[in-house]
Amino acid sequence: MFLAFAGPNLLLISVFIYFPLLSNAYYSTLNWRMGSTSATSAGIDNYVRLFTSPQGAEMWRVTITFTVVTVLASMVLGLLVALALNHRIPGITAGRTAIFSPYVLSGVGVGMVWNFIFDPQLGVLGHVLRSFGASSPEWYLDPDLALVMVIVVYVWKNLGFCAVVFLAGLQSIPSDLIEAARIDRAGALRRFFRLTLPLLSPTVFFLTVTNILSSMQAFDILKIMTPSGNGTNTIVFELFLQGFGPYQNAGYAAAISVVLFVVLFAITAFQMRFVEKRVHYA
Amino acid sequence: MNHRIRSTRAKRVTTTVAALGVAALGLTACGPAVGATDPSADAAAATDWTSVEPAESISFWTNHPGGSQEIEQQLIDSFTEETGIEVEVVTAGANYEEISQRYQTAQTSGDVGDLVVMSDATWFTNYVNGSLLPLDDVFAAAGGDASTYNTTLFDDYLYEGSHFAVPYSRSTTIFYYNKDDYAAAGLDAAPTTWDEVQANSQALVEAGVTDTAFSFPPAEDYPAWMMNNLVWGYGGGWSDEWDASAMTSDETVQAVQFAQDAVLDGWANVSSGSPADDFAAGATSQFIGSTGSLGGVTETAGFEVGVAFLPGGPVETELVVPTGGAGIAISASSTPEEQLAAAMLADHLTSAENTVAFSAETGYMPVRSDADASELYAANPNFEVAVNQLETRTRTQDFMRVFLPGGDLTLATGLQRILTTDADVAESLAEMQAELEGLYENDLAPQLEG
Repeated sequence: MFLAFAGPNLLLISVFIYFPLLSNAYYSTLNWRMGSTSATSAGIDNYVRLFTSPQGAEMWRVTITFTVVTVLASMVLGLLVALALNHRIPGITAGRTAIFSPYVLSGVGVGMVWNFIFDPQLGVLGHVLRSFGASSPEWYLDPDLALVMVIVVYVWKNLGFCAVVFLAGLQSIPSDLIEAARIDRAGALRRFFRLTLPLLSPTVFFLTVTNILSSMQAFDILKIMTPSGNGTNTIVFELFLQGFGPYQNAGYAAAISVVLFVVLFAITAFQMRFVEKRVHYA
Repeated sequence: MNHRIRSTRAKRVTTTVAALGVAALGLTACGPAVGATDPSADAAAATDWTSVEPAESISFWTNHPGGSQEIEQQLIDSFTEETGIEVEVVTAGANYEEISQRYQTAQTSGDVGDLVVMSDATWFTNYVNGSLLPLDDVFAAAGGDASTYNTTLFDDYLYEGSHFAVPYSRSTTIFYYNKDDYAAAGLDAAPTTWDEVQANSQALVEAGVTDTAFSFPPAEDYPAWMMNNLVWGYGGGWSDEWDASAMTSDETVQAVQFAQDAVLDGWANVSSGSPADDFAAGATSQFIGSTGSLGGVTETAGFEVGVAFLPGGPVETELVVPTGGAGIAISASSTPEEQLAAAMLADHLTSAENTVAFSAETGYMPVRSDADASELYAANPNFEVAVNQLETRTRTQDFMRVFLPGGDLTLATGLQRILTTDADVAESLAEMQAELEGLYENDLAPQLEG
């Protein structure tokens, strides 16, 4: 009976999840180019290269910077926007829709539109800066500025999701608790830090987990805005460049994806095991 | 009880081991053959073409280079009318890189195009993978005459004595300049050497005609291709076949130093997007770009566009023009019947008459030496400059840029770093050389050496 009900699902999961997972781990031990019918064994060389080469170190630096900044910025700004939207003011529904809408847009489209804004020669931002007598920064040529640029766009796109989830969290906080604190003469800041924020901790926990997972897997905006990955080589972008892009090194790309899997698994497990203990469910 | 638990545990262990064993067998069965010999040897297996009849239908994978969807369909319709062979046209990517990626990943399923567009920078990887057919014999069997292809363009696909594609949407780089800006600065002729490029550029800036007289491309716009002319002119190069020591020769260092000085001195810049777009918008007065941009730039620019042969350097003044663009290759995994029909289609698409029709619609170069492009020249005199340059100034590109996976990107990002900072040129080129050699030793040499 168990097999009759669970069998089809188990089969599908085995074929489309676990088999590719194991295949990928196997390919990570090969020196292999996608499409080639032959390969040579690489042992753990691909992993050694990932953790010892200058390119590998740069990839980790960019990934950590991108993830930390985008997660923090999306959540802090999302919370501020949610607090602003959590009032009965005219046009609030349109405001919420406008804030959320970038999240449902295609990352490719978002990247292309922002290219028209950031282009120093032909873009809107450069035009505005020149009208004030300033010159546009070289967003695409300076690796550090390129990273700043994609972070700005990524946060803009994902801000709405955090804001809407925070808004739902704010609206689930019982109003009598807030009212009681107000009667006890707790100020706005005190009410926020001592009452609202602790009661939002399930939302903060949920958004931290999902934002870290999605930021570490960001790809579309990075690929569209910086096709060669100049200064924006996060782990997933590097995986693409190595496996499917110009380097054609599928074995090394497979090693990167195994490490990405392990890292994401470890981060999520750590959060579930230790961080969730600090969450207050109302 | 204990016995039952032990029995259950043993069953689980056995099942797990069996599952892992099946998975391991599956992995090795589905994956590539480890330690196999030279894969390209399979593709070279001889076929007796005299006993092969062309297939009734084949597929053509293309990205419609240069907006060629309409003209490609016209040429294919005329092919079907002549031969009765049906051709399924598949848009297999938006650019050359995407076609190659799809072609490579499709090798696993076997569902690949019979005739495929392959760029100069992607065909070699597929050759190494053993997925391209050496086409000299099948082309002859299909009645094709390869002797009338432009020799440089055809030999771009020559390796180990065999050709692996025929030229199709081919281009070179060429020097573009704004004739209105030149007139305003009192300049009457395009430069013929890099010293003259510098002099003209300084004159343009000093005359107040432009802030940026010349634009180098960013990493995304193939700077190693666009700057090949400069380093060849100085007697350097990116490599001598697989020897990357040319990267750090005095000549290459001097050439790249010249480019860095040009930016630091202020008469040149590095475009943030595309030099062609900046030029057409009037933001820069000169750049080196693909002949494939000729039609678009001429149409978009609000001034008179001039083109000239690429400038020579202090060492080499003639053979300083790198070729580019794409050819069409035949799949090694197609049946001999499909391969023969694909060769017939390749010959048809690139015939003397059809290559001119293709050029007229796209701006790419006619690939046959017996092609009559006089009507094209009458309509766009700049096109004649491009074709004359092709016939007299071109040379095959350096291996490390076009053949080494990741080679072009390594050069591109390194050159961008040199041109946009005050990085030490010799040290930077040495780092790039080491990176290229590492890529070659790790990723390519084992397969080339079998």
